[in-house]
Amino acid sequence: MNPGPRRFEEIAPGRWRLDKGAERGMAADAEVFASGAILRAALDDASIEQVINVACLPGLVGPALAMPDIHHGYGFCIGGVAAFAAVDGIVLPGGVGYDINCGVRLLASSIPATEFAPVRERVGHAILQRIPTGLTPRATTKLNKKEFQRVLSGGAREIVGNYAGTAADLEFIESGGCLPFDQPGVIGPRACERGSSQLGTLGSGNHFIEVQAVEEIFDPAAARLFGLEAGCIAVMIHTGSRGFGHQVASDYIETFRKRNLARLKLRDPQLVHAAVGSAEGRNYLQALNAASNFAWANRQLLQEDVLAILEEALGAGRETLGLRLVYDQAHNIAKIESHEVAGRPTDLLVHRKGATRALPPGHADIPAPYRAVGQPVLIPGSMGSSSYVLRGTAAGARLTFASSAHGAGRRLSRHQAVKLAGEIDVRQRLEKSGTLVCSLSSQGLKEEIPEAYKDIDDVVRVTVTSGISEKVARLRPLLVVKG
Amino acid sequence: MRNYETFSTTADLGIRFRGRDFRELYGNALRGLNLILFGRNPRPRAGENAAVVFRFKGDGPENVLVNFLAAVLELAYREGKIVSAIDVHRADERRLEARLRFAPRRAAPRVEVKSTTYHNLRVSEKNGWLRAAIVFDV
Repeated sequence: MNPGPRRFEEIAPGRWRLDKGAERGMAADAEVFASGAILRAALDDASIEQVINVACLPGLVGPALAMPDIHHGYGFCIGGVAAFAAVDGIVLPGGVGYDINCGVRLLASSIPATEFAPVRERVGHAILQRIPTGLTPRATTKLNKKEFQRVLSGGAREIVGNYAGTAADLEFIESGGCLPFDQPGVIGPRACERGSSQLGTLGSGNHFIEVQAVEEIFDPAAARLFGLEAGCIAVMIHTGSRGFGHQVASDYIETFRKRNLARLKLRDPQLVHAAVGSAEGRNYLQALNAASNFAWANRQLLQEDVLAILEEALGAGRETLGLRLVYDQAHNIAKIESHEVAGRPTDLLVHRKGATRALPPGHADIPAPYRAVGQPVLIPGSMGSSSYVLRGTAAGARLTFASSAHGAGRRLSRHQAVKLAGEIDVRQRLEKSGTLVCSLSSQGLKEEIPEAYKDIDDVVRVTVTSGISEKVARLRPLLVVKG
Repeated sequence: MRNYETFSTTADLGIRFRGRDFRELYGNALRGLNLILFGRNPRPRAGENAAVVFRFKGDGPENVLVNFLAAVLELAYREGKIVSAIDVHRADERRLEARLRFAPRRAAPRVEVKSTTYHNLRVSEKNGWLRAAIVFDV
């Protein structure tokens, strides 16, 4: 099948390859995990162009990859994955995105959805009231310089140690919720200023807090280990490093431009990069770790707010309600990981932009209770549609540097979505289908209508048929709080 | 093409703009960003205008544009201001010196523009017009 002018070959079900000889400048193959329809859409919205741009970068190890939720971004496409040698490769902010460590956290419970129903509205309003959401909200408390630096160094650990939550949570956060950061000088003052007033805030756009019902279990053994019980509620939180991560990314793009742009031949200036071992490359990786820690701290704080609201609404403590963290994972990040290359374990700097890590069963970095089944992979659907929990596989480890999709992936632009929504009352429409929506922005809701996104079932189908992850459970939204 | 207009990518928003010289190019970039932030009729609050001379430098016009628009975004989100007029004193491919007139905005921006990207950003010249397109992370 040839779904477009570029001769992608389907080398295995759901796995399409464009040979590096296909286009001038390509130094590696491009591989897209997609159905025919998803690949055609990616050709139409120019995101394939962005995968090819990445395939032209120097020092790429393996192919330039795109996950099944591929869509147009800047620099990398969303759903883009690329690995470079950890010692003498390159690092690029355009391969991570501005919202560093944007990610998803999932909590399981033993609360039957029927018991949640009577308090749903109250919980929704309480979340909106307690958690700052929307355009540039300010946190209720601003951290002083010392407190802020401790958050940058400690991430979720700092929150658990000094603010809220339990140490048991840390095992269930990617990288333990903290990456090494010990050079405060690599962060600019404006980033600190933006960040110190935004910890514990949700943000706007596609960020959300959802209460969901576990509707279908596909893999009972894995679901049991993850604590997911059919008919019970789960909580999903999607947000990132807020203005802090954006400022870090912007600052380092400027630094990389000043130092390197003139000597680089780039198809897109957003792909400006530096050697991993250069001063600016090392500094960016440190700053990236700080922003990642900020995001983990942010999601930890939001979790505690939501748990307190649920405890109050249901009149019981979290232990009684069986509320526990399933997993927290980043989907905009670059980290050094060990992967097998030509039969040998090799340290690589894996960039994931709108893609999740998906470690296979037995991997040492998976929480011990999950090690037998693989890392949980959280794939939120659009507002009003299902979300999925999957698990990493050995095939995924081999084919994608242990990466998977991160969401449904946008299909329509925001303008198109608003136009399509027209005069529809989005809240009313979703409520008819069983989802209560709480948001301060009607425009934001229209931009996020379900039709704006790809069919999550199609994205998950390809993810599974291509072998990069396995389905565990499907979750249906009961309450959506949008920024 | 109009002197400035907005466009959408799948996930983000952008502006296309042009000018017969850098003075017009930078001015139309501001108008395009204001269109995204505040719509066709941005209405600053009356009677509280201020004007300050800003100087933006860069290694090329792309860099000047990103620095300039980042400052406009700062004013909009951090200071709650709308830049309602621009009086360009000096403009070339490495510099913009302009008096920006700004006032408190009456309403919040319609969308949260988080960052100005360099994605495919190149200032080019065609038929006597300088042209560029900028994608914003929203």
